[in-house]
Formats: sequence, C-alpha cells, structure tokens
Amino acid sequence: MLNTTLNEGFTIFPTLKRIPGVALMLFACMLVFSILNADFLSVPNLMNIGVQSTILLMISLPMTLVIMAEGIDMSIGALLTFCGVIAAYFLALTHNLPLAICMAILVGLVIGIVNGAIIVYLNMPPFVVTLGMLGICQSLALIVTDGQTISDVGNTIGLAYTGNFLGIPLPIYFAIVSYVVIHILLYHTRFGTYVFAIGGNRDALKLAGVRVNLHHIAIYALSGMMAGLASILLTARMNSGHPTAAIGMEFDAIAAVIVGGTSFEKGNGWLFGTFLGVITVGVLRNGLNLIGVQSSIQVASIGLLVLVALLLDSFKSKA
Amino acid sequence: MTNLLVELKNSSQLKNLFFRILVVVLICIALSFLTEAFFTTNNLLNVLRQASLLFLMASGLTLVFLTAGIDLSVGANVGMSACVAAVVMTTTGSTALGFLSGIGCGLLIGIGNGLLVTLLRLPSFIATYGMLWILHGLTYYFMAGTTINGFEKSFRFIGSGYLYGVPVPIYIMTLFLILGSIFTKYSIYGQQIYAVGANPLAARLSGVPVNRRLMLVYVLSGMTAGLASLVFLARLNSAEGDIGESLTLPAIAAVLIGGTSLFGGIGTMFGTLIGALILTLVLNGMNILTIDGNYQALVTGVIIILSVFLDLFFRRKSGS
Amino acid sequence: MTLPILELRSISKFFPGIVALDKVSFDVYSGEVHMLLGENGAGKSTLMKVLCGAYQADGGEIYHQGQPVQIHHPGDARNLGIAVIFQEFSLVPYLNIAQNIFLGREYSGSIPGTLDHSRMHQEAKHWLRVLSLDIDTHTLVHTLGVAQQQMVEIAKALSQDAKILVMDEPTAALSDRETTLLFEMIRKLQSEGVAIIYISHRMAEVFSMGDRITVLRDGKQVGSADPKTTTPDELVQMMVGRRVDMAYARNFQSQPGRVALKLSHLCSENGIEDISLEVREGEIVGLAGLVGAGRTEVARATFGVDKVSSGTVEIFGKNRTGEPFQSVDMGLALIPESRKTEGLALIRSVEENIILSGLNKIFPSSWINNRKVQQISEDLIRKLRIATPSGKQSTQLLSGGNQQKIVIGKWLTTDSKIFIFDEPTRGIDVGAKAEIFALIYKLVEDGAAVLMISSELSEIVNVCDKAYVMREGKISGLLEKEALNEENILKLGMTDA
Repeated sequence: MLNTTLNEGFTIFPTLKRIPGVALMLFACMLVFSILNADFLSVPNLMNIGVQSTILLMISLPMTLVIMAEGIDMSIGALLTFCGVIAAYFLALTHNLPLAICMAILVGLVIGIVNGAIIVYLNMPPFVVTLGMLGICQSLALIVTDGQTISDVGNTIGLAYTGNFLGIPLPIYFAIVSYVVIHILLYHTRFGTYVFAIGGNRDALKLAGVRVNLHHIAIYALSGMMAGLASILLTARMNSGHPTAAIGMEFDAIAAVIVGGTSFEKGNGWLFGTFLGVITVGVLRNGLNLIGVQSSIQVASIGLLVLVALLLDSFKSKA
Repeated sequence: MTNLLVELKNSSQLKNLFFRILVVVLICIALSFLTEAFFTTNNLLNVLRQASLLFLMASGLTLVFLTAGIDLSVGANVGMSACVAAVVMTTTGSTALGFLSGIGCGLLIGIGNGLLVTLLRLPSFIATYGMLWILHGLTYYFMAGTTINGFEKSFRFIGSGYLYGVPVPIYIMTLFLILGSIFTKYSIYGQQIYAVGANPLAARLSGVPVNRRLMLVYVLSGMTAGLASLVFLARLNSAEGDIGESLTLPAIAAVLIGGTSLFGGIGTMFGTLIGALILTLVLNGMNILTIDGNYQALVTGVIIILSVFLDLFFRRKSGS
Repeated sequence: MTLPILELRSISKFFPGIVALDKVSFDVYSGEVHMLLGENGAGKSTLMKVLCGAYQADGGEIYHQGQPVQIHHPGDARNLGIAVIFQEFSLVPYLNIAQNIFLGREYSGSIPGTLDHSRMHQEAKHWLRVLSLDIDTHTLVHTLGVAQQQMVEIAKALSQDAKILVMDEPTAALSDRETTLLFEMIRKLQSEGVAIIYISHRMAEVFSMGDRITVLRDGKQVGSADPKTTTPDELVQMMVGRRVDMAYARNFQSQPGRVALKLSHLCSENGIEDISLEVREGEIVGLAGLVGAGRTEVARATFGVDKVSSGTVEIFGKNRTGEPFQSVDMGLALIPESRKTEGLALIRSVEENIILSGLNKIFPSSWINNRKVQQISEDLIRKLRIATPSGKQSTQLLSGGNQQKIVIGKWLTTDSKIFIFDEPTRGIDVGAKAEIFALIYKLVEDGAAVLMISSELSEIVNVCDKAYVMREGKISGLLEKEALNEENILKLGMTDA
C-alpha cells in the first residue's frame, strides 16, 4: 500500500495516492466530529479516546499478525471475555492480584495454543476453528459465572484502568509497551520475519529448513496471550467480571486491522496502520457518542467504515 | 445393476448421508435409554418443529456454502426481517403486508450481500460479517428496546399451529426441502452453482455466468431467511431487538454437520436437514437431561469443529 | 580421475499408486553444466525435491565427493552446498531482498532474540554486486521483475556457499537479453567450480550450454548423451520412447470458408498489443512463440477472460464483448492451458463436467433430465474414447489424456464454431496425443475454425494451415505454405540478435 520499503518503517509521501487510506479516514473523522461537537478536540476527550482504545489495541496488534499469516481469530472477543471472567473469579476467590493476572494470561495462552494446534496440525480452516472456539469460550464464560456478574474483585485491580503515573493514565503505558513489544517481534526477530513468510510463501519457509508449524502456532498463542493480558484491563475497567463483557470485540479488532491497511493478501501487513485503525475506530465511537448516537448504530458505522476502507484501497490500486 | 453399484460406490455423497442418518438413529436410541422424557410424541414433535425452524434458515445458507462462500448475516437477517414484519403487521393490521415486508427485507439484505461479494469482490465472510453487525445495529436501533407481541391467530398458525396433529413448520420444512432439492439437483442453475463452488475459474471459462449465480445464492439465502423469520415470529409471538443474535451459529453448524463442504461444490439440501436434526437432537437431549443451558454454545462450537474435521479427514483419505 | 561432487545411485521414490523415481542414477562434476531432460511427469521435479531435502528417497544412496551422505531435510542439503531454484521461486513477496537471501539463516543482533539487519544488508549488497545487480537491498521482492527475482535466488544460493546449483527451467520467463545475462552468470559460476544441474525443454540452450545430457522418462533414467555428438531428434526419441511424427498424420485438405474469428488491433491489460489475425472456417491457424510471448493472453482477451483495452474481436462479423459466457453464446470455445485448474472441476464427475458448458443449449427449459444427461455423456465417452469405468467417476482419477478429452468434449454439446486450443497436448502421452489431433481434425472437417496455441514447433508445422508468431506481446509475422517451418518460427519468435 505504500512505498517499496514498507515493512521496515514508513514514510508518508506528499502525493495523495501515497497517503495510507487509514490516515485519510482518521483525518476525515476527526475533522467531522470536531465540527459537530466542540468538546471533541479537547484534551480530556482525546485522552479518553486513547484510554478507551487500549484494550482494542492490545488485541488488534496480534490480530494483525494472524491476518498477515493468512489466518483469522474470530474467538478473540469471546476469549477476552472469558479471561476477564477468570481474572475476576480468582480475585473473588483469593483476593490475590498477581495470581489472578497469571491465571488470566495463562488461560489466554492455552486457548491460543489450542487454536493454533488445531489449525496447523489438523490443517483446518482458521475461520471455522476460531468460530467454534468462539462458541466454546462464550459458554465457558457463562458457566464459570453462572450467568452472573462477579463483582467482588477488590479495590486494587480498578487502579490499572483509573490509575495515573506521571500524569499519564496507566492504560496508555500498557498500550505503549504492547505496541513496542509487538513491533520488535514483527520487525526485529526471526519470528516476525517468519510471520511474513507464512502468509507470503509458506513452502519457501519450509524449504529454508525452518520449523514452520511451531512458528505458525506461536502466532495464535501470541494472540491468546495478549487477550489474557488485555482482559486484566477489561476487568479493571468494569471493576467486575461479566460473561458478555467483550462479546463482539473481534469485529472491532478485525475492522481496525483492515482499515489500517493489512489485507488478507499474501503476507502483507502494517502494524502502525493497525494502530491508526484502532484510533479511527475509537474516534468514531467516541465522536458518535458525543453527538448522541446509540451504540447499535455505532456498530453499523464501523461496518461502513470497513467498507469505505476497502473501497478506498481498490480505488488506489486501480488509479 | 452393475451401474447402480458403481454409482453407489462412487457416490461418496450417498455414503456420507447414510452415516449421518445413522448418527441420528443412534442419538435417538441413546436418548431414549437415558431418559423417558425423550421418546414422547410431544417431545419428538417439538424436536421436529425446532429442527424445521433451523432448517428453514439453513436451507438458503446451504446454497451459499455450495459456492464456497458463507453468509454470516443469516441470523441477523432473520432478526431484522422479523422485526420489520412485526412492526408492519401491528401498525397496518395487515398480515399480508407483514409477510411481504418480512420477505422483502430478507431479499434486500440478500441483494446487499450479493453486491458486496460480486461487485466489490469482498471475501464473503468479511462482507457478511460486516453486514451482520450493520443489521444488528440497525435492528436494535429500530426496535428501541421495545417488544412487539400479540399477533393474529391466523398468522401465529404457521408457527404454532397443528395440521392433522403435526406442527405446521414441519410441512413448511418439507416444502422447502422438496423445492430446494429440485432446485439443486434438477435445475441448470443448481448444476452451475455446484460448478462455481468446485472450481470458479473453470466454471467461468466453461461459460457459466459466475457473478450472476453468486448473486443468486445470496439473494436466495436472504429470501429464505426472510421467510424463516416469519415462521419464527409466528412461533415466538413476539419480536425484540435481539432475536437473531443466537441463530447464526446453529445455522452454520447445521449446514456443516450435514456434510456440505466449506470449500464448495459438495453438499445437499437433505444433508442440511439431517444436520439440523442432529444439532437439534443434541441440544434437545441436553435440555431434557437438564444440562446447564450455558453449555449449548460450547457444544455447538465443538460439533462444528468436529464435523469439519471429520469431513476433511475423510476427503483427504479418499485422496482428494 | 576426479570424483563427481555429487552422485545419486539407484534413487527411488514412491507415492501411493505412483513410482515417481525408479532407480535413477545421476552424477555431476564441479564446473560442469549437466542438462536434465524429460517430459512432464518424467520425474525431474521429484528428483529436485529429493536433492533439496523436501522429499526423502525411498531407496538408493547419495554420495558427496565420494562419501555417503543422507539428505533428510533442507538443512542437510544446505550443508552439502546444494541449492535448488524452482520455477516458482521460493521468495517471500513482502520481505526485502536481504531478508529473502537470509531466510532461515538470519544473523542475530546484540540483544538476544533480535536480528542484525545491517550485517544482512551489507552481505546482501555484496552478493548483488557479484551478480552485477544494482538494486537497493531494502526493496520488497514482489516489486521485482522475474529476471531480477531469479538473480535474488541465485544470490541466495551463492550466499549459502552453494557448490551444486539446480535450476529448473530458468529461462522460461526471461527475455532474450535476460537469458544472455543468465548464461554469462552460469559460465562465471562454472569457472569458479560450481556444479550446475540444469533442467530445460529448450533444445537450443541444451546444446549451447550443456556439457552432458541425461534424459528421464516415466521416472527412469533412459540414457545419457554428449551434446557434441547427439541430435535433438535423438533426444526427443529418448524422452518420448518412439518417433513422434506419426501423431500428426493429417490426411485431409482444408476448405476454408468465411472468416469466423477476426482480431483487429487487439490490446489487453495483460500486455498484448496490436494483435490482428484471422481464422476461417475449416482451417487450423497456429499461434506460436516462446513462453511469455503473450499467446495465452491473446486467447484470454479473445474469450473475454481478460479485459480488452482497445481493438476488437469479431465473431462472424459481430463484435464480441463481455464475459466468457457471452462468448460461448456466440459460438466460441476455449480449451485452456491448464486442464486441472482451468478446465475441470476435479471433484465433480465426468458427466457433470462434460455437460457443463452445454446446459443452456441442451435444456432450454432450465430443467435437467438426468436420463438425457447420462445418454449424452455416455455418447461422448464412447465417441471420444474416454477411458473411465462410468460417467459418474470423479475426473480426478483419470489420466491427463482422458481429462483433456473431457475438456474438449465439454464443447461438443454447445454448437461451438470456433475453438481456441491452448497447448492441447501438453503433458499427454503419445497415444492420447494422436487421438486428440484426430478430434481436432474432425472438428475442422465439419467446418469449425481452430486457433491452436502450441510450444511444440513440429506441432505447429505439421498440423496448422498457417501460423502467426508472437514475440514480446506483439505479432512478429505470419507464416504459410513453404514458409511455415521450424526455422522461421524460431527466427520470428526470438528477439533480434
């Protein structure tokens, strides 16, 4: 989508055609909303967008890798919910924050590995496997909570979401660390190089003598683990464990990745684009909220956003 | 005679159907042993009625699967069409208008999906996934949290009524089964749809109007969802914003369990019916055995993964 | 007497139901170019895969400089200095040149787990310079042309200190100039002692570049030859097993009728320019040229698969536009290059495939009568002598020749008047080839117009009434009567020396 040296950083060229579609859309959204509502461009509101987008960012970044490797993870929303419930469960049970955190991450990791193992070793379509897993995680969340909210989570966890450090909300730190880590993984490790290869020419990777299956599973494991990590923020935000907390969030994540320019094409992806995509989705939701549009229409708008992104992309490649 | 034997031997489709019918029989036997409540006329008719409702949704979906596509918006389609029909019926008082609007709504959604796939060339699961959320959003907004109920008896009849002791939806299901089977097996459109799924490139090069057939299957899927929504509405006797939410997964499961391949070119209407039966039996069994309702999504998910796995396993074994 | 750097003795490889390699023995010396010849399915690519460790041999031994070795996986091959360049390159499109060169062998950076990008780029630059390739190593590989991608593959091999280089049809997609550069590179490698195993179908390069020639057929090694003493005919005979010209036996005169197909200044988005040609009823017109000249693109543009950017296609005087199905309605038929991916739905039965194109014409009411379907299909199976136990058999299980017959038979129910054949006899054994030509002749005798694309020069010369030759997307000439011979086709097909 950009210049020829995309995967090691980017440069925005002056010509319109070279500006990534997502940047255009983000700019357009911000413009529209700042006109429609005076509060939109205020610092507290922009901070708000940032904070609220962190959870989405944490699951969209690994989703970028999954999609680059020609896969998809439909279960991430349900998994996020389930991990959040696990965290709340252990908090209510033991009031031991470190333990709850570890359990949430562990559960996410394990389910991610299961997804990856079924997809890679049994050679099954990622869409179906993760769709089935979506149902499974949904059920598991309901079973563990018996359909109720777990509210006895103690006082400390909420701080992860509401707390501040040096004047910056804690979630932002989560976001920065997540981005930096995944950026390094994708662009400066063998694993990241192999993500490009698994999507672009899996056979070439095998011929190069690499243990492709393990790396392939690792992509899904990463996705699951990040879901576990993000679920802590989720539980912190809601100050409870709710069995349908993040149901449907995979839609936002997939939308963010697509809007950001990663397509289901062979092994191509742009991490910063996903970041911009997440912000765009966040801006859209926030802006629509401010002008009083309901959550249900917000979702419909995100769907339209994805359509616009795909249209823009096809126009640019034809131009 | 040798021809018939050769046909049977080569017809893995027949073999697959046979195994699936066997599964149905086995489940019934197992459940009858596990609990008395299963093998009562009441329960069996209930199972058949539930399976019919599921099949109605899954029948159009089968056509989409045959082209190697998927329609994730089916559940949301049913939800929205039902709400639209409900609103029309209660505001205009006319059941006929309600029918038309329900089917019309499904049809429009089908056209929308078809355009996304053929004109914009979006992969079907993205296009219909986006459509799903758009529809959900619109339906919620439309219904504004209210519930509409209290429809005319004549209308409710198609969902809750009985004809000669058999619930009406079962007749409707039989009708759909016959029409669907005739369409897939005996119309040139059906053959072309199978060809598109089996090898879209070769189909195009063989003179099959691929885009037109793709459009057709999404339109049909949308329309059958619209029709199904009316039967659902009649059965539930109420409409609210979230009807369609939990319907997509079981519909997809029914198609997959029935032996229709995700990759296109393989599958039958009757198979989907059996798939709907198997899923309904399992869920019904879970109900009777008072297994926590929360497990239903889990079981459906596992069954989906298992069906696709078995399907792939046997296809690979036979050397595809 | 030096030892060969690599020797394979009695290598066998089996797959369920197929013997891909049957006790093949083969060796290569440092600094030699050993040509490997064979028709499709002869076992060349299987041999390559055994050499690079993608497959394991089921029998036989491998010796490296006289020592027995095992090649169990790609790492082993690499350690022995073996590098294989497949026709479909092993490059990752969205990684840059350096990343592709070092795929699987990346250098670690100072922080454990990270990569040392600068070192990899530095070395990559070095190898590109050796190959006289002046491209930024940060360039993503998918933006490179085919010739450049091939150079990247060679750079990759060199950086692995390859002493044995296997190349599969390296000139298949190259222009003349690029081919010359490649040959210079090969000579240079030879002088440095690299052993080269070179798979090719092109007689010209086999004789000009080869030091030795080995021919494979049906998984067996049928003979070796010395390019200084053998002849192309001898090689072809070894590849095929018997003399081939019998297959063409054309025993009728054509009586050309009116102009059926006319292309005027046709250009398409796929690189063909200003194509003008005519095919009349009752005649077979050939379309010749090297691979990559654009012949298939002409067929696709004519049929409606690719978009026409300018120019016209006229069928019996009427303008043709739109999708393939509209071309079919006008009487056009296309037998595509790749029958498995473009001609058949492999999971469907013979019957289902053979009536597909004719559905509209056979059943104008849109309702199918299964008995009629069976009847028509059995009729065609008999007429075309398709070897299948029944019409309900899956097409996947049939041989190449029979599959091709189904692809052709598909069009016999559609009242087609114009047939475009793209490499109709590729990968088909000689017996089936004769039957297919007989089919084509029958069509022409009955008044059809045939445009035949073929890479076999003798096919064009013996079968066609006249032939257009293409070169780099344009038509370079029309040959008929005495002018229609292999020399002229080659001359017109190659770029100016």
